[in-house]
Amino acid sequence: MKDLAFIGLAACLIAAAFAVVTARSLFRAAYALSAVLVTTAGFYLLLSAPLLAAVQILLYTGGVLTLVVFALVVAGANTEGARWRRPVPAALTSAAVFLALAATARRIPATAPLEGLESGKGVGVLLFHDYLVPFELLSVLLLGAVFGALLLARKDRPE
Amino acid sequence: MTLVNLLLLAAAVFAIGLYGVLARRHAIGVLLSIELMFNAVNLAVVSISWSKGLLAGVVLVLFGIAITVAEIAVGLALVLLASRVGKSVILDDLSELKG
Amino acid sequence: MTDALIVLAGPLAAFAALALLPPLRRSGRPAAWISLAGIGVSLVAAVALFARIHAAGVPQVAEIVWAPMTKGPSISFGLLADGVSASMAVLVAFIALLVQVYSLAYMSDEKPAAFGRYYAYHSLFAFAMLGLVLAHNLLQTYVFWELVGLGSYLLIGFWFEKPAACRAALKAFWTTRLGDVGFAIGIVVLWSSAGTFTFTELFAKADGGALGGTALVLGVAGIYLGAMGKSAQFPFHIWLPDAMEGPTPVSALIHAATMVAAGVYLMVRIAPLLAHTPQVATVVFSIGVLTACLAASMALVESDIKRILAFSTVSQLGFMMAACGAGAASAAYFHLVTHAFFKALLFLAAGSLIHAAHTNDIFKMGRLARLMPVTCACFAAGALALSGVFPTAGFFSKDEVLASVLAAGHPIGFSILLATAGMTAFYIGRAFFVSMLGARTTEGHPHEPPTAMKAPLIALAVFAVGAGVAAPFIPGLFAASIAPPAEAAGHASMLVPLLGTTAALLGLALAFAGYQRRGFDPAAVRRALQPLVTVLERRWYVDDVFEAGYRFAYLRISSAVGWLDRYVVDGVVNAVTWATWLGAGRLTALQNGRVQDALYATALGLVVLAWLAWAR
Repeated sequence: MKDLAFIGLAACLIAAAFAVVTARSLFRAAYALSAVLVTTAGFYLLLSAPLLAAVQILLYTGGVLTLVVFALVVAGANTEGARWRRPVPAALTSAAVFLALAATARRIPATAPLEGLESGKGVGVLLFHDYLVPFELLSVLLLGAVFGALLLARKDRPE
Repeated sequence: MTLVNLLLLAAAVFAIGLYGVLARRHAIGVLLSIELMFNAVNLAVVSISWSKGLLAGVVLVLFGIAITVAEIAVGLALVLLASRVGKSVILDDLSELKG
Repeated sequence: MTDALIVLAGPLAAFAALALLPPLRRSGRPAAWISLAGIGVSLVAAVALFARIHAAGVPQVAEIVWAPMTKGPSISFGLLADGVSASMAVLVAFIALLVQVYSLAYMSDEKPAAFGRYYAYHSLFAFAMLGLVLAHNLLQTYVFWELVGLGSYLLIGFWFEKPAACRAALKAFWTTRLGDVGFAIGIVVLWSSAGTFTFTELFAKADGGALGGTALVLGVAGIYLGAMGKSAQFPFHIWLPDAMEGPTPVSALIHAATMVAAGVYLMVRIAPLLAHTPQVATVVFSIGVLTACLAASMALVESDIKRILAFSTVSQLGFMMAACGAGAASAAYFHLVTHAFFKALLFLAAGSLIHAAHTNDIFKMGRLARLMPVTCACFAAGALALSGVFPTAGFFSKDEVLASVLAAGHPIGFSILLATAGMTAFYIGRAFFVSMLGARTTEGHPHEPPTAMKAPLIALAVFAVGAGVAAPFIPGLFAASIAPPAEAAGHASMLVPLLGTTAALLGLALAFAGYQRRGFDPAAVRRALQPLVTVLERRWYVDDVFEAGYRFAYLRISSAVGWLDRYVVDGVVNAVTWATWLGAGRLTALQNGRVQDALYATALGLVVLAWLAWAR
C-alpha cells in the first residue's frame, strides 16, 4: 500500500518538477511548484511527519508561493527571456550530479524504519530543549529578513 | 519505499532543480528552481531521519523552511526593486562583476 | 738576477706611475721625463746584465713558482738571461730610449694630456716587450706577447679621433690575434705532450726524443702561426702597411725594431724545436721567401714614404724568417739586430722629413738634401744599410742570411731573395732620390729638426753603419745561450757577398738612372706595365680576399645568428606570450559575472568530489 502511494507521489513529484523547470510561462512554473510542494507534503505524511507536512503546506505553499505570484505579477514574467541558456551543458551537468548523488545514496546502509515516530510533542521538546539557541537565532534571522525586504522594496522618498 | 529509493527520488528532483537553475534566464525562474532543489534536500533529510528513527532531521527541516522563507522574501524584494528601478531581471544582463 | 728585474721594473714603474696618477700624466712634459727615466734605468740594467752574462758565458735562470700544483708541472714565473735574450733586451731598451727622446720633439704639438698618455703607452710597451724577451717559459711569453699586442693597439690608435687610425689599430689587433690563436693552441699541444712550458725543459725533451711526432709538429706550427701574425708574414702582413696611421716614432719602435721582431725572436728561441720539425721549417722558409718578394714588389709602386718603409719591413722580416726556416737562427738574429737599427733610423729620418715637409708623399718632397743635410746623410746611411752595401751592417747581415739559405740547399729560394735584394735597393733608392735630390720643391720652408730629433738619428746611423763590425761576435752570443745552434755556414767563397753587392748596386743604379738622371722615364714604365702596377697597388688583393671572406663568413654567420635570435629565441618568448594571451582570453570568459556559469563549477566540483570519494 505504502509503496503504491510512494510510486504515485513520486511520479507526480517528478512530473511537477519537470514542469517547474520547463514551463515557458513563469506563472505555470509557479503553479507547478505549488504542486511540488504539496506532493512533498504528501511524502512527509508517508514518512510519519504530519507536523512537517502541515508546516510545509501552510508556510511554504501558502506563504512562499503567494509571494512568488505577487512578485511575478509586479515584476512581470517576460516571456521573451524564456529561451534557455546552454540547455545541453545544463542537462549534462544535472545528469552528472544526479549520478554522483545516486552513487552516494547507494552507500548509505539501510536500517529498519520506525513507525509512528513523530509527534508534535517530540518536536516541541527538541525545539525548546536541545535546539533552543538556533530557534531564537532563527527568529532574529526572520526579523532581519523582514526589515531587509521592507527596506529594499519601499519606494524612495524624496529627501 | 526504501531509503535508497527515497534518496534517489530526492536526487532526481535535485538534479531537475539544478537544471532549472542553470538553464533559466529569468531571475524568478531561477528562484523557483532553487526552491525545487531545497525541497529535494528536505525530502532527503526527512527520509534519513525516518530511516534512522531520529527526530532531529524533522527539526532541521523546520529550521530550513523558515530560513528559506526569509531568503525568498529578500530575493523577491530584490527582484521587485530591480524591476522598479528599470534594470533587467534577466540574469545574463546583470554581469557587472565580470573580469 | 736583480739586474734583469730592474730591466723590467723600470718601464713598469714608469707606466704604473703614469697610469695611476692622472694629474702626473696630464702634466705633459713631466710624464715624458718619468717614462724616459724608466727606460733609461732599464737600459743601464740591460747593459749590465749583458756584460755579466757575456763574462759568465753561461745562461742564467731565475724562477719563482707562482702556482704550485700537486699533479703536473707548476706554473712559474721566470727570467731567462742568456746571450740572445740579454742582447735583445739591450737592443729593445736602447731603441725605445732613442724613440722616446725623438718623440719629445716630434710629439711636442700634442696637448699635455695626450703627451702624457703617449708616454704612458710607451712605458707599457717597453715593459711588455722586455718581459717577452726575458721570459723563460712559453706561457709567460704568451702573456707578454698579448701585452705587446695591446701596446701596439694603443699606440697605433693613439690619434683616436682619426677613424683611419682606429680601424688600423683594430686591424692590427685582429690580424695578430688570429695568429695568437694558433700560438695558444701550439702551447697547449706542447704542454699536453711534454708536460712543461719552460724552454730548457722543452728542448731537453725534444732532444731526448720524449717530445716528438705529431705533437711537436703541431706545437711548433702553432707557435709559428703566432709568429706569422706578429711578424707580418703572408697572409697576415695586411696590418703592417695600415699601421702607419700611428705616429712615426711609434712606427719606428714597434713596426721596425721591436714588436714585429718579436715573432722572429720567438722563432730564434725555439730554433732547437724547429730543428726537429723539418716540415714546419720548410713552411717557415717558403712563406718567408714569398713574403720578402711580395712585400718588396708592393713597395715599388708606393709613394707614401712610411708605406714604403712598412713594406720594406715586411720584406726584411721575410728574409729573417727564411733564415730561421733554413736552420740558421744566428743569421736571422743578426739580421734582426741590424734591421732594428737601420729601419728605426729610416723611420725616424722619414719622420723628420714628414715633420719638415708636412706631407708623407715623396713626390711632394724634393731637394731636401740641401735644406736638411744631417737628416739627408742619416737617411742615406739607412738606405745603404737596407740595400746591403759594404761596409754597412746591413751588408754583413744580409750576406749571412743569403749564405745560409744557399748553404742549406735552397737554390730557388736563394735566387728569389737575391732578386728581392735588388728590388729593395731600387725602392729605397727611389725614395731617397725623389725626396732628397728630386726636382720638385716642397711648400713652406723645411728645415732641420730640433736636436731631440737629430741626436737619435745620428746615434742610429752610427750603429747602422758600424754594427757590421760586430759580425764575428754574433756566434759568440749564441755560445752563451741556452741553445747554441750549429756552426753557421762559413764564408767558404766570395760568391754570395759578390752576388749580393751586385744586386744592391744594380738596384741603386736603376733608381739613380730613373729618378735622378732621367735615363728612362719611370712614369712611362708605370703606364706600360699598368695591369701589373694595379695589382701591386691593390696589394695583390690580399686585403680584398680577407674582406670578402669576412663578409661571407662573418656577416653570414651574424645574420644567421640574428635570424635565430629573432625567430627562435624571441620566437619561443613570443610563443609563450601568445599562448598566455590566448589562455587568458579563454579564461576570462569564465569570469563573465554571470552567476549561473559559476554554478557549473560548483556542480562539477560536487561530481568530482563524489567521484573521488566513491569511485576509487
